[in-house]
Amino acid sequence: MAGLSEFELLGRVTIGQYLPTGSRVHHLDPRVKLVMVVLMITAVVVSHSLVGLALLLAAVVSGLLSARIPLRFALAGLRPMLPFLLLLALLQVVAIPQYGAGATVIWRWSILTVTDRSVLAGVLLIARFTVMVLGISLFSFSTTTTELTHGVEHLLRPLQALGVPAHEFALVVNIAIRFLPILAEEAERLMKAQASRGADFGRGQRNFITRTRRLLPLLVPLFLVSLQRAEELIEAMEARSYLGGKGRTHLIHLQARLSDYVALASVAGVAALVIRLSLTNADGMVWRWLTEHLL
Amino acid sequence: MDQTTRKIVIAGVMGAISIFLGASHLGFIPWLAGAALTIMHVPVIIGAVLEGPWVGLAIGFIFGAFSLIQAAIAPTGATDVWFTNPFVSIVPRLFIGPVAWLVYRALSSGNEIIALGVAGVAGTVTNTVLVLGALGLLRLLPWGLIGTIAVTNGIPEAILAAIITVAVVAAWKRIETGRTGSTV
Repeated sequence: MAGLSEFELLGRVTIGQYLPTGSRVHHLDPRVKLVMVVLMITAVVVSHSLVGLALLLAAVVSGLLSARIPLRFALAGLRPMLPFLLLLALLQVVAIPQYGAGATVIWRWSILTVTDRSVLAGVLLIARFTVMVLGISLFSFSTTTTELTHGVEHLLRPLQALGVPAHEFALVVNIAIRFLPILAEEAERLMKAQASRGADFGRGQRNFITRTRRLLPLLVPLFLVSLQRAEELIEAMEARSYLGGKGRTHLIHLQARLSDYVALASVAGVAALVIRLSLTNADGMVWRWLTEHLL
Repeated sequence: MDQTTRKIVIAGVMGAISIFLGASHLGFIPWLAGAALTIMHVPVIIGAVLEGPWVGLAIGFIFGAFSLIQAAIAPTGATDVWFTNPFVSIVPRLFIGPVAWLVYRALSSGNEIIALGVAGVAGTVTNTVLVLGALGLLRLLPWGLIGTIAVTNGIPEAILAAIITVAVVAAWKRIETGRTGSTV
């Protein structure tokens, strides 16, 4: 028996990790922060340029600094991944040949081929992941879930004219987040009830069939209880004449300030520059310079 | 009465289950060599079967967005590195619900239980094929390895998803129609 901690699910289901330092970044408009995250992710995914990723890394780190978030907090998510990240990068380097124009073979041994392209791909993988983790951490450290859902709804509002159910979608996200603690509580109750009847949830049990058979008496009631709760919520909302987003007013009005525009413009500038850099092959120039002057 | 409130609430609640299964690690079942099986996509299938493709799409988005956030800030396993890319974590998940719903609707005139099981399998296959396909297209994994993973993880996940979908939806519909006794 692993003790009662086995049943404590509530503490494990927090989304994000808001860190109230009250900095300038925390006070930014959530809409602006959302757009900045989307821009950053797009730039990271699109960028094939090491120089571009270095620029993005610098931008994210300066964001973390101005949000007064200790760097070790942001890096904590990266540490457990590090061994595997290196392994993946290695796989990228040796196992997946990256040919294409101008690739030179550096090393070859039976089926393993290393080209300069594949080395670059490995380094890019690590750089991309690091920027992504730090960027998303910055967002979740500085934005509460309430701000997040408000931001989503306000951002999608112009799309409502095109028939996109913005208000409804924001409400879905909100219900999902608000439901989490309830679900954790229900699951705890179910686990205790089943355990008192002799159930063992087989943590640490590696046999697939036993694990599954022991999980079913927890999962199926969990779904059914949630559906029951959903019915109650539907009834409660309909009893209060909930009619969707039409003609609804809001308690909180988001107002973008000068600092929001400045932040947005600078992130958009960096993203545009990064995308431009991957089109012009800035790395090629840096690489050529390095090989000419150092090798 | 239009069904908007119902669709919103079911989508939210199923999205919450998907997040919960991921965050509590209940949704992961250890499997060969540390590559865990997941059932986080099952709420997407169940939501789509109960309330239609749009609900499935919304739950799929929540599932995908959460797996992206989790991969970035609270990684659970080695493979999380890939899931920080929205083309791996979000885009493929949008299709799970609509596919499961289409399959269910096409078969639901026959045996309901079989329709549910096949919808569970179809939703899982959509997830497996599109996620692994994205990994292959992004050149993160060699295609040979992808084929192996598709078989070793995809098949047990499909079976699991079918079992849970049938068990939950059959039990739920029975409650709604007031029938008693087991038909499964």
